[in-house]
Amino acid sequence: MSKTILIVDDSESIRELLRLQLELHGYKVLKGVDGQDAVHHLNGQKIDLVITDLIMPRMDGVGLILEIRKNDKYAFTPVLVLTTESQAAKKEEAKVAGATGWIGKPIVTEKLLEVIKKIIR
Amino acid sequence: MDNLKAIFMAEAAELIADIERALLQLEQDQQNKEGIQSIFRAMHTLKGSASMFGFDTVSTLTHHLESIYESIRDGKNQLSTTILSTTFKGLDHLQKLIDDPTMENEGVQQNHALLLKEIINLEQEQHQDIAKNGVALLTVPVSVEEVTTYYIYFLPPSTIAHNGTNALYLVEDLLNLGDAVAIPFFNNLPSFEELAPDASYIGFELVLSTSKTEKDIRDVFMFVEGECELTIVKIAAGNVLADQAVQTKLLGEQNLDAPKGVEKIKDILTASAPALAQSSQATGKAAQAVSSIRVSSERLDELMNLVSELVTTQARLSLFAGQETSNEVATIAENVEKITRRLRDNAFSMCLIPVENLVVRFSRLVRDLSTELKKDISFKTEGTDTEIDKSVIEKLTDPILHLLRNCIDHGIELPAERRKKGKPAQGTILLKSYYSGANVIIQIIDDGAGIDLGKVKKKAISRGLIAEGAELSEKELLDLIFLPGFSTADQLTGVSGRGVGMDVVKRNIADIRGEIELNTKAGEGTTFTIKLPLTLSIIDGLLVRIKETDFIIPLVVVDKCYEVETTLLTQAFNQWVTLDGERIPFLFLRNEFSIYENPPVLSQVIKVAYEGRVIGLAVDRIIGQYQAVLKPLGQLYHNQNECSGATILGDGSVALVLDTAKLINKLFIKTKPMEYEPAN
Amino acid sequence: MNQQTEILNSYLTFRLGDEIFAANVSKISEILEIPKITKVPRSPDFMRGVVNLRGTVLPVIDTRSKFGLAAVADTVNTCIIVMNLSLEGQPITIGAIVDEVQEVMEIEDTNIQAAPSVGAKYKTEFIEGMVKKNDLFIMLLNLDMVFSHDETHMLQELAGSKDAAEDKSNSKK
Repeated sequence: MSKTILIVDDSESIRELLRLQLELHGYKVLKGVDGQDAVHHLNGQKIDLVITDLIMPRMDGVGLILEIRKNDKYAFTPVLVLTTESQAAKKEEAKVAGATGWIGKPIVTEKLLEVIKKIIR
Repeated sequence: MDNLKAIFMAEAAELIADIERALLQLEQDQQNKEGIQSIFRAMHTLKGSASMFGFDTVSTLTHHLESIYESIRDGKNQLSTTILSTTFKGLDHLQKLIDDPTMENEGVQQNHALLLKEIINLEQEQHQDIAKNGVALLTVPVSVEEVTTYYIYFLPPSTIAHNGTNALYLVEDLLNLGDAVAIPFFNNLPSFEELAPDASYIGFELVLSTSKTEKDIRDVFMFVEGECELTIVKIAAGNVLADQAVQTKLLGEQNLDAPKGVEKIKDILTASAPALAQSSQATGKAAQAVSSIRVSSERLDELMNLVSELVTTQARLSLFAGQETSNEVATIAENVEKITRRLRDNAFSMCLIPVENLVVRFSRLVRDLSTELKKDISFKTEGTDTEIDKSVIEKLTDPILHLLRNCIDHGIELPAERRKKGKPAQGTILLKSYYSGANVIIQIIDDGAGIDLGKVKKKAISRGLIAEGAELSEKELLDLIFLPGFSTADQLTGVSGRGVGMDVVKRNIADIRGEIELNTKAGEGTTFTIKLPLTLSIIDGLLVRIKETDFIIPLVVVDKCYEVETTLLTQAFNQWVTLDGERIPFLFLRNEFSIYENPPVLSQVIKVAYEGRVIGLAVDRIIGQYQAVLKPLGQLYHNQNECSGATILGDGSVALVLDTAKLINKLFIKTKPMEYEPAN
Repeated sequence: MNQQTEILNSYLTFRLGDEIFAANVSKISEILEIPKITKVPRSPDFMRGVVNLRGTVLPVIDTRSKFGLAAVADTVNTCIIVMNLSLEGQPITIGAIVDEVQEVMEIEDTNIQAAPSVGAKYKTEFIEGMVKKNDLFIMLLNLDMVFSHDETHMLQELAGSKDAAEDKSNSKK
């Protein structure tokens, strides 16, 4: 059974990039343009991993993580946040809110796949 | 026959290098039996193959050297500085002999006779004076894969699952690092009524034998390290778990109520494995040699060329597949791209050589030169496992040798002078290398006399490089040193001070697209810093377009992309734009590149970060990610600043690769151009 | 021996504006049609840009611009002569854009006249000699000098504009 990954990022090019790479490696991909949009996907369907950007309009990464952890069905779903060096404080916030891990931008595909394998298998 | 000879010559060169390395180690630690033995063995091998291939002169000389070391090994003789010096001379001569075995060259002939006499003399003497310590040199660690056994204690917090982490995956990752046995402990397990189904109560103790480093082990815990109790202790060199009996003993432990602790585990291990080698350093003798084969560099070059061509052709395939409607073609094209990327990374790693390969040569230079100039210098290295592309390493050798010569000649003072200044008599030169972002940094740091800025200024004035009363900052003064014909040496020592040095060094480094910087403190020392781009000739880039010209921005520096109304950019005050609430400076590339016609309504701003500085680059469109094979623009574009090269796109046209570092520096460094007036 | 002298005397003739020039074929590797040219920003006008030559990046020079002629639109005849030259002792391959390539002709050494030094239109270091064919004077170019130099113009007169152009290219260093 292939794993499903929910990608949340307000940048279309990043969403597309990630989707292409992940589908190539056999993952099923769902997309959200920001936190609020992503929440719509939390409707009981199987989601094995969420990868989210931190800074997004309407609902940002931390907000999304809090929503995910509040939801019974997804309380233990792993969440990876995409971070940049200038966002150390946000990364801490994300961790406290319940993020599982992080990967730095720019995203190197091989590294991303490695980290994903650490978290879901 | 020529082919076999070539193989012998290559092997001989390696043997000689091994002996040289061992000698340098021996100089620091003259009692090291292992060193003597390995030198003897290498000489024995060299002697044997030399005579097989008809290199009789080599064989004879080596034979005599070998007997000296044999007698030292057997305790009949003592190692001395004289023996060491003669052996060094012998090695240098042997290398020459291999290139000229019949001694056509007269110099070689004469040297041979002298050397032979010297060696035979030493051979026949029964006792040598125990010499004082020669120049102390640090050992050059031979890089071979070593297995170490660790004890790991790991207790995750009870809430670990609330972050979506599965603690068992962590244990699994550890088990995959090598041979391992995991023993859980349950003392945190509460009674059934108090058990929370989403909490974690189990901890693990592991014995892991692995060739990975401690850092690799810690990396397994990278997301949870702060929250867990984690202890990693080296307990032995070598693979303790190789013995099945040991594994069985560990697995047979019945009592799992509480963690045993590292001492108890060690006891269990020693009880079942009597030959447990204990050492506080992990440089164990139970080393596993990495199996390797020798490949000619022409083959490697050809491999690289083919890989580059493959990348370009694959780009065309992807372009084609994108235009076809067949899903299958698209899938195949994506697969080809994936495999090509892996092939490229693999091929590149083959061309990378650790800096350490150069260290022996440098150690030798430091040793010989400091002896000649009667200075006491310790040569240390750090980070020599840093790898650099082999073509770059070749071009680095000369500049670094020159910098080291300068250091020894002008930098480090004579022992008496140092003591007067309250410094230790022994000076230190540190060769440090490490990665920083997309660069490799190599530093040569000495604790010598530093550079006298006053002298520099005087010299510059006398050479007409600056005006009499010119006011220059420290950096500007130091930069003068890199001008041709400049030298502050009062006398020309045979070594440096000829004034042909620093400008050539700077140029050589510029040729490999590197930079060199100099920092100094009078009386305390000088640091040269060389910064080199990781010359991977294929980079992952972001393909963007301005009007009809395509550009590549290296993905390594790209942070995020934004869409911005062009008018906001053209009318921006002071070249700032606000992205995600942050005000950052930006470059409107259309202006930079003088492309003025028909800007689009919406521009794309790409936020790039480099060494902590962030700027935005505004372009018309972003096309997508692209694997770019870097091609040089050529001599004619030598002075080109904004582009570091070009690449061929899938449709055959040429895209320019932007040098983001230079573009960023434009916005951040505003130096006044120096006005030189010739002194009349 | 004969073979050798034949090669030395083969020249490719080409047209720039109204004038005909000739270049020794030993330095010429091929002739290309004009593909898409990528202009490299902030480069002198006579550097038209770079093109893809079977996987190598080839710089192309606008020869008209180098010779001080006004720019004209490319025609079907406009093409690139790919040459292997020497710049500061290093081999270099470049492309030169010309209006039209004509023919390869044999020129005997004896027919080559020295380029006039006084009152000549082009600086003598660029011209190896001249040959008269039918009623035309064909100027034999010293390719290394012409194309590997930084100077933007080779005209002797136009002293004012030449100096200005030189200053511009020198100050960029």
